[in-house]
Amino acid sequence: MKPTEDASGPTVALKERAVLLFHEHLTTVRRRTDRLFAGLMLAQWAFGILVALFVAPYGWEGKDRALHAHVYAALFLGAALTVFPIALARWRPGAVSTRHGVALAQMLWSSLLIHLTGGRIETHFHIFVSLAFLSLYRDPWVLLTATAATVADHVIRGLLWPESVYGLPNAEWWRFLEHALWVGFLNLVLLHAGRVMRREMREVAVRRAELELAREREEDKSAELDRALRELSGFQEHLIRVEKLAAVGQLAASVGHELRNPLAAVRNAHAYLSRRLSRDAIGAADDPRVPQFLGVMERELGACAKIISDLLDFARERPPALQPCPLRPLVDEAIGVVPSRDGVRILNEVPESLPVPSLDKEQFRQVLVNLVQNAVEAMPQGRAGQVSVLAEGGDTGPWAIRVVDDGTGIPPDVLPKIFEPLFTTKTRGTGLGLAIVANMVQRHGGTISVRSEAGRGSEFHIHLPATAAAQAA
Amino acid sequence: MKAPALSRGAWLLGGLLWLVATAAGFALLARHALTPGATLEAPSSWPASAHPPRAKGRPTLVMLAHPRCPCTRASLGELSVLMEHARGQLDARVLFLQPEGTSSDWTQGPLWRAAAAIPGVTVLVDTGGEQARGFGVATSGHSLLYDAAGRLRFSGGLTGARGHRGDNPGRDAVEALLREAGGVGGSSEHAVYGCALEEPPEARATHTP
Repeated sequence: MKPTEDASGPTVALKERAVLLFHEHLTTVRRRTDRLFAGLMLAQWAFGILVALFVAPYGWEGKDRALHAHVYAALFLGAALTVFPIALARWRPGAVSTRHGVALAQMLWSSLLIHLTGGRIETHFHIFVSLAFLSLYRDPWVLLTATAATVADHVIRGLLWPESVYGLPNAEWWRFLEHALWVGFLNLVLLHAGRVMRREMREVAVRRAELELAREREEDKSAELDRALRELSGFQEHLIRVEKLAAVGQLAASVGHELRNPLAAVRNAHAYLSRRLSRDAIGAADDPRVPQFLGVMERELGACAKIISDLLDFARERPPALQPCPLRPLVDEAIGVVPSRDGVRILNEVPESLPVPSLDKEQFRQVLVNLVQNAVEAMPQGRAGQVSVLAEGGDTGPWAIRVVDDGTGIPPDVLPKIFEPLFTTKTRGTGLGLAIVANMVQRHGGTISVRSEAGRGSEFHIHLPATAAAQAA
Repeated sequence: MKAPALSRGAWLLGGLLWLVATAAGFALLARHALTPGATLEAPSSWPASAHPPRAKGRPTLVMLAHPRCPCTRASLGELSVLMEHARGQLDARVLFLQPEGTSSDWTQGPLWRAAAAIPGVTVLVDTGGEQARGFGVATSGHSLLYDAAGRLRFSGGLTGARGHRGDNPGRDAVEALLREAGGVGGSSEHAVYGCALEEPPEARATHTP
């Protein structure tokens, strides 16, 4: 992103950060170059000793020999030229004085190596190579120090011992200028390269600063998003609590409402029986209404027990205890529980050869009972009908269990709500039956869906994953 | 390693001392390179005892050399240049020292082969340093130029420093003598840079059985 004029804040921060990064990078490069020269100094020292030992190992007097002065020079003068810059690089890395000390030592190494090789012109190239190495500091002043050292060496030796530097006994006094010119020419090239490198480093620093700034902005956004998500999550939890409270309230109202009628009937029957028994306890045995009211009480208390049982089934979060459970006998068992109704046939069409799935027998019987009972109750009064329970699948595939009726069907506006708890269209019902069914099927890892057509009936479709069969095998 | 607690001033002082020590080292090195070897009085005319005799009718240059002296490599290099510039006007001999008690392998090493490879140069053995003593030479690389009449015209080294090649007054003088007067006009003496051909007297006394 390019800094814009109107966003002066980020632009200033960007510039400051870019400058900081540039200087950090430059310092890193210079410290690395210090370490490079520390290694180079050691290598030159070893090389100088080897050169002395190879070119002039001994000085002779007749048959007597002693180590040549060049060997001592390589050892001790070489040590002096090596140790000081290494100490600077080790204890003052990146310091201005370190790189200037290194530059001076490096150029003096050129002088020593030239001397140790007997003034060979080839060794003079060491000066140019040294300047190239020194340019790695990317500091023009270091090249100036190195050049000044070389020029001073040429001037002094040109005056005192011109052969050692020019190869001529009577070189002109200005001869050093010729050498300095070539060194200066190389310096121009190295300075240009250094300037290009520093410019590229600045560009890299600007890009890094831009990236860092962008990253910081993204991190801020991310933190803001996290905060919003936390708030949202808090709201959601709060909403769930509110919904739960509302559900509890609704449930309490529904249960209260459902319990009120049977309890009222029980109270009436109980009141009658109390009065009858207190008035004439012996004669009550002959009263035909006494067993009638006792029957009413039993029936209504049964209805209450059913409501409470449904409520417990819905509220209980018991995980299914899976075990091999043949489907056809289970369907028979469920059909046996559902009260029969005139004109309505209930058929078990589950194949006997169907593989045995793993199911929680109690939970799944409850599922089948609820579905079959709903289907029976969906039949219009006075009309014949049929409820079929079918199943297929198994082996390695999923399971499909269907409960099909040819009743009145479910109106389209009701269809989406039938699995919601406490939703019912019956005059007497808790609205928990299908919610319990859906809950139990989900606990088995399955899904339930319904397809219905007004006047032609409904089909409930339970889909169980293949793992049920695998576990049973 | 913990950094030594040196102040900026201490580093500066250390740097100055380092510069002084380095300058002193270079000064010692230059002094060694520019310190000539011992010279004796060379005979002003070709010694009759010299073997083989000088070439008749042309100048003869004799270089006395130590076969293992590293500085003499530069002297032979300059002799090579000199012979090239002389274009056959000069007859040159290099007499390599073979001290008593040493074999020919001790003498005939790389320097011997380098000298033998120079066109116009005859390489000979100076057994026991007798020839060197006859020519009054004590330092390796010392060269003597005798003219066609057997008179000494040049005495000195062909290098400007120990082990350093390059133009130098000694070689220039020999070339000038050959160029200007065919080796018969004037005479010149120059310093010699090389190893001593003989052990110090006290060492010789020790080696004497």
